[in-house]
Amino acid sequence: MAALTIENLKKSYGSVKVLKGIDLDIEDGGFLVLVGPSGCGKSTLLNTIAGLEEISGGDIKIGGVSVDGLHPSKRDIAMVFQSYALYPNMTVAKNISFGMEIRGLPKSEIMATINEVAALLQIEDLLGRKPSQLSGGQRQRVAMGRALVRDPQVFLFDEPLSNLDAKLRVDMRTEIKRLHQRLKTTIVYVTHDQIEALTLATKIAVLKDGCLQQAGTPDEIYNNPANMFVASFMGSPSMNLMRAKVSEEAGQFTIEITSGAATALTLPVNGIADLQAYVGKSVMFGIRPEALTDPDGSDKKHGAEIVTRAAVIEVVEPAGSDTFAVARLGGIEAVARLRADAEVEAGQTSSLAFNMTKAVFFDPETELRIR
Amino acid sequence: MSGVSQDNAVTGNRLTRALIYTVLIFFVIYYLLPLYVMVVNSLKPLDEIRGGNLMALPQNWSLQPWRDAWSAAQIGVEPTGLKPYFANSFKIVVPAVILSTIVGALNGYVLTKCRFRGANVVFALLLLSCFIPFQIVLIPAARILGLLGIAGTIKGLILIHFVYGIGFSTLFFRNYYAAFPTELIGAAQIDGATFFQIFTRILLPNSGPIIVVTVIWQFTNQWNDFLFGASFSGFDSTPMTVALNNLVNSSTGVKEYNVHFAGAILAALPTLFVYVVSGRYFVRGLMAGAVKG
Ligand SMILES: Nc1ncnc2c1ncn2[C@@H]1O[C@H](COP(=O)(O)OP(=O)(O)O)[C@@H](O)[C@H]1O
Ligand SMILES: [Mg+2]
Repeated sequence: MAALTIENLKKSYGSVKVLKGIDLDIEDGGFLVLVGPSGCGKSTLLNTIAGLEEISGGDIKIGGVSVDGLHPSKRDIAMVFQSYALYPNMTVAKNISFGMEIRGLPKSEIMATINEVAALLQIEDLLGRKPSQLSGGQRQRVAMGRALVRDPQVFLFDEPLSNLDAKLRVDMRTEIKRLHQRLKTTIVYVTHDQIEALTLATKIAVLKDGCLQQAGTPDEIYNNPANMFVASFMGSPSMNLMRAKVSEEAGQFTIEITSGAATALTLPVNGIADLQAYVGKSVMFGIRPEALTDPDGSDKKHGAEIVTRAAVIEVVEPAGSDTFAVARLGGIEAVARLRADAEVEAGQTSSLAFNMTKAVFFDPETELRIR
Repeated sequence: MSGVSQDNAVTGNRLTRALIYTVLIFFVIYYLLPLYVMVVNSLKPLDEIRGGNLMALPQNWSLQPWRDAWSAAQIGVEPTGLKPYFANSFKIVVPAVILSTIVGALNGYVLTKCRFRGANVVFALLLLSCFIPFQIVLIPAARILGLLGIAGTIKGLILIHFVYGIGFSTLFFRNYYAAFPTELIGAAQIDGATFFQIFTRILLPNSGPIIVVTVIWQFTNQWNDFLFGASFSGFDSTPMTVALNNLVNSSTGVKEYNVHFAGAILAALPTLFVYVVSGRYFVRGLMAGAVKG
């Protein structure tokens, strides 16, 4: 177990800059999730930590010691690959023991370790099989087993669940979380699935085009996004983002959402001091679906600032536990999350409650947060 | 109505089938006829060939032509038969095939999994070697064999075939390994496997189809080679193909066509054998490459 520190990490392939100076750290025993759209450099970052890719600049420290130039096998890490990367010519037992064999551990110790890990992952019956005779979920377990026997300082997971079907993915997600709680080993976990990120992480790092957008606890990332990209990437359905005009009267900010000929929707805004600079200009107003509800379902606790406005409901999508509604706010489409038994009908006008304490604002040019 | 149209469909089907089979059978005969001629005439006494019809079955079946071709026929100046040359060919081809396959596999590994600057240029140059006509390298090769002191020896021919084979075997293995998951190499590196351990324990055990393809390709090409054999072999390193030529073209005595036929079949047997035994894998290997590549 050890902390991991990444300092100004750069990686380029020829003239293509893939990682553009990443600063990131995770404490000993933490669960760091790297999340971002496909092609943003997550796997590359993980591979540089593993030592499978050389870095072009910066430094990586595991347990305070730089691992620059160290061979992958000497970094005390273990990795689970997206494709699982099981050796097709070896049985499950051999796959798990290959590393120990290479390191020349005694046979009895190898056998004991295999059995221990197989019991932990419930793959005892599979030890004699070849990878081609396993299902996706079983392969995934074997890949985890191979990583577990290394008993490393840091586990590296590269989208380990992305090849599983939806049900299995949820099960394995829980299992990985349980494993982490039990082993308390530092984990760096790559995914493009924001739900996985939110459920597993103690710390999330959002990447885009090789740049770190924001790093923080799941709560910080979700409720305090640093910019529009983070705000729209995390959360499902994603945050409603609408252009709005700012005005001020007697120290009270008001935003006005309007598009085309539709009637404007105005909302009061409190507690965002920097809006002063935007008076008379446009900002991006962001509100998550769950902060846009039917009045009965609104968050009434500790003085949340609830504002109710009428809106035309265009589409109603019952989803079991909730009902999602597509509404027109000043002519702009937005998704609201209502209670399952909320009485709304497509085509009608309904009251919607805006939880303005949860509202966020961004500069439309820089896309950065206005606080 | 429907009954009638169905009938028509079936008849039409039969007709197409008959046509297809006719064409197929025609081609089977077309390709097998030369083999038939060779086999029947290699089993006849000479006067039956002289006196009659090449297509006829032997009246007196005889294995004598085969025995002569193998161990008694006049090749050049010696009445040794093809036997020693058959052995020469094996002594040349087996090491050359093994060496060029191993080096091709190593090249493929390095070119795809240990990317270095200029890897593509190196590969392009190796590829080019597949397309250089044999004639162009004859004189430089003779010079180099001379310098190495192995001109006219089995070793010299092994070297020539080995080097010439590298181009194609590299091409085969490079394309196969290009589709080989790099994550497996990464996993093995993390497991602590060295460069050669990765090669022998991960790559080679998963290269069955492409090894078969390469071995068949190299074996048939090197076994059937005539030009290098004729140019670089000495008195006791002459390969089968050159010996067969000497047998057929020997100017002394009568032309023993039955012995020539038997000799020609003998010369072709090893490649036939390789195809029959591993042809299945050959096709499968080519397909695997095609699908994965
Ligand atoms: N070997 C390579 N050569 C050139 N570009 C590469 C190489 N590997 C990855 N890239 C590029 O780096 C970027 C990040 O890739 P990757 O880290 O795999 O993204 P992801 O976030 O989806 O895991 C991609 O645009 C990809 O095209
Ligand atoms: Mg990736």
